[in-house]
Amino acid sequence: MEENEVKESRLPKIKDVINYNDFFGEYPLIFAIKIISSLSLIFVITEFYNYHNPLDSLFTKYVKQFSESSVGSTYFSSFKPDPNVFILWSVVAGFIFYLFTLLRGKYKFFALLLTIIFVGQYISDPALDWKLGEHIIPSKVGDEGAEKWTWKPIKIIYEDKKESVERIDEFTTRAANLIFGLIPFLGIYGIWKRKSWAVIGSIALAVIIGWTCNPNYCLENFDADYCGYDSKSKENTWEESLAGGIFVGLGFIIYIELSYAAIKYENYAEQFKPAGMDDSLLTDAQKKGVSKTLMTLFMSYLVNLGVMLLITFIMAEIIINVNDYLSTTEGIIQDSIELQGPYGIVFTSLIFLMLLGFVRMFVGADYETEES
Amino acid sequence: MWSKKAAAVAGGALFLALAGLIRLNYLFISAGLVMLIFVVLSSFLDVWMPSVKIRRETTSDNIFENGDLSVKFIVKNRGLGIGFVEIYDQLPPQARITKGSNYTLLYMRPWQEVSFEYSLKLPLRGHYHLGPVKMRVKDAFDLFYNERIEESIHSFSVFPEIEILEEQIIKSRAPKLLSGAMPLNVIGAGTEFYSLREFVPGDSLRSVNWKALAKKGKMMVNETVREDVMDVILLLDAREVSAVGGGKDTPLEMSCRAVATYAKQLLDERNNVALMIYGESIERIDLNRGEHHLFKILTALSSATPKGNLKLEIVMKDMLPYIPSGSPIILFSSLDDDHTISEAFTNTISRGYTITTISPSSLDFEEKMKRIPVQPLLIARIERDNMISEIRSFGMQVGDWKSDEAVNSALQEV
Repeated sequence: MEENEVKESRLPKIKDVINYNDFFGEYPLIFAIKIISSLSLIFVITEFYNYHNPLDSLFTKYVKQFSESSVGSTYFSSFKPDPNVFILWSVVAGFIFYLFTLLRGKYKFFALLLTIIFVGQYISDPALDWKLGEHIIPSKVGDEGAEKWTWKPIKIIYEDKKESVERIDEFTTRAANLIFGLIPFLGIYGIWKRKSWAVIGSIALAVIIGWTCNPNYCLENFDADYCGYDSKSKENTWEESLAGGIFVGLGFIIYIELSYAAIKYENYAEQFKPAGMDDSLLTDAQKKGVSKTLMTLFMSYLVNLGVMLLITFIMAEIIINVNDYLSTTEGIIQDSIELQGPYGIVFTSLIFLMLLGFVRMFVGADYETEES
Repeated sequence: MWSKKAAAVAGGALFLALAGLIRLNYLFISAGLVMLIFVVLSSFLDVWMPSVKIRRETTSDNIFENGDLSVKFIVKNRGLGIGFVEIYDQLPPQARITKGSNYTLLYMRPWQEVSFEYSLKLPLRGHYHLGPVKMRVKDAFDLFYNERIEESIHSFSVFPEIEILEEQIIKSRAPKLLSGAMPLNVIGAGTEFYSLREFVPGDSLRSVNWKALAKKGKMMVNETVREDVMDVILLLDAREVSAVGGGKDTPLEMSCRAVATYAKQLLDERNNVALMIYGESIERIDLNRGEHHLFKILTALSSATPKGNLKLEIVMKDMLPYIPSGSPIILFSSLDDDHTISEAFTNTISRGYTITTISPSSLDFEEKMKRIPVQPLLIARIERDNMISEIRSFGMQVGDWKSDEAVNSALQEV
């Protein structure tokens, strides 16, 4: 009998190119947590930038001032961070960066090389034209019988320098937008790659960017055309701001908790994989067992989170309303101007927290676990 | 207790609230306060935390190298509390988990009993322990927890791996009173055929070889090899030099496996076996037989550590007065770094003992680790070959045991 040799395909197997198991994971539940967590991040960041217009940021002011004073007005001329654009693109960029990290060995290097070549080509394309001449170098030229080797150097011809400068400008502008886009970029990367430092980094950046924001700051420094609004926005009452802030606060908690849960439960599933392997050695039945445990853990976790968020929301509303009542009710407290401002709400909250602290002294477990 | 996460969230929340005051940023203030309220409210969750009792069960107190040890945890909630429980069983660093995990995260309901299992493998002989068990009862968000370290230590021994020997070639010239399965090189009552001889009055008719009678026309009887128990002395070299190599690839580890295999075989055949381990001092397990004695030998082997540099000549001088005359001695040694070997052998042989040597070659390990250049390695090999030839010239058997070979191969070399 003639034996048929099975020839191996020259095309590499997909699992040798990219570790797709890391993306889908072994348990659909964890994949679902990551998606929910990513959506909560997008919600929080969108809400965050609704309150913190990037054009009112100190970053915008200094980027513009720097470009005008040092390199001329051409650079960053189109620098106009728009949350509707950069949030989406930063999320995509964070996700692509995560996919890039999944590539294996040489493919990662090739992907990086291709990216550099693509960017270089994009910038240089309008400006440079490569002219090779008539012959391949070196080549034989001359009359019949007379042979002569000549070298034809490649000529680089500058075609459209202006267009190239515009592209550089566009590129730098996009890169500069990363200042604001780093929050979703790091957040998405952290959630999918299970990097808690990236999640924490995204929150820290949100605080920094929020810190540098001043309402109507853009209009004070630039013209209305650039800022996109010609009159100063109506100042919200502090009740309105606080009410909005509660949702952003809850959104932050949801983002932190869900991304942390994604990392925690994925790490739980990861422990069943031997070191250095992409797949666990569990049988299907064992995987079902782990999956069931994960489902129990996550559902209990979600119930806990839902209840706690509801109680937190109710508590925050109570504090705001109590503060509102105290500051508007006739009497000596009403005379306190501070109570009607931000100091008042912080003061009232601290009183509530102090009361909770007192209650905590008398209510609590006896720490039976520590006795033995 | 506060977790790092709780401290970070509370710290961040306070920072947001204060930063909001300074920058008059209402969003910061309210977000900070919401986060602070969340942390404070979460601290109340420990009111419902479960009261947990854990118990560990193992399949065995001792395993062999590369054998599986199954560990089962039974976790019981003794109250009405509900919450998350983390359990982590501390393992020896050499352990490899083959099934399940030594860490688990559980959600405990009132009065619930949950169990989980894992199996581990230990590639190296020795004495180990599992535990202590770290247990953490915590809220859903990992903000607050109660931690307890359960001093539940389970000690166990990992014995050297035992192979099945294909043949028995160690022979003694000193018969004992009790019959056993060890063939002696003397004629006597046994089952193994030795030779044919003519019938003499007094021979049992049962021993007559009827086929030979038909062939030769005269009465012939079968003679058998006498099978008796004997006293075998296993001598293990556990000097510092026997730790050359790494992990399982050291002369000492190989010797331990060989000793365990020999001891098992000899004891199964109802012989008396003694074990002597020399290195820094001499540790003795006196002559005895039976399953319990095998356990003692294996335990001693598990404890053997490479230490000291006691020379063979001194060991023999100390030992020989206690060894029954004629008993075979089996030496397990790489024969390295001992200039007294020739004298030790001469003294022992002159007193009527036989020594069989099983010698794992340490040079193979050195070559594997690429620690010796080619030229010195070649010289060392010649020196070793000379040493083995010298011992063989005394009429003694030496098995030159290569690193990747089984114990059986060492016997074939003898």
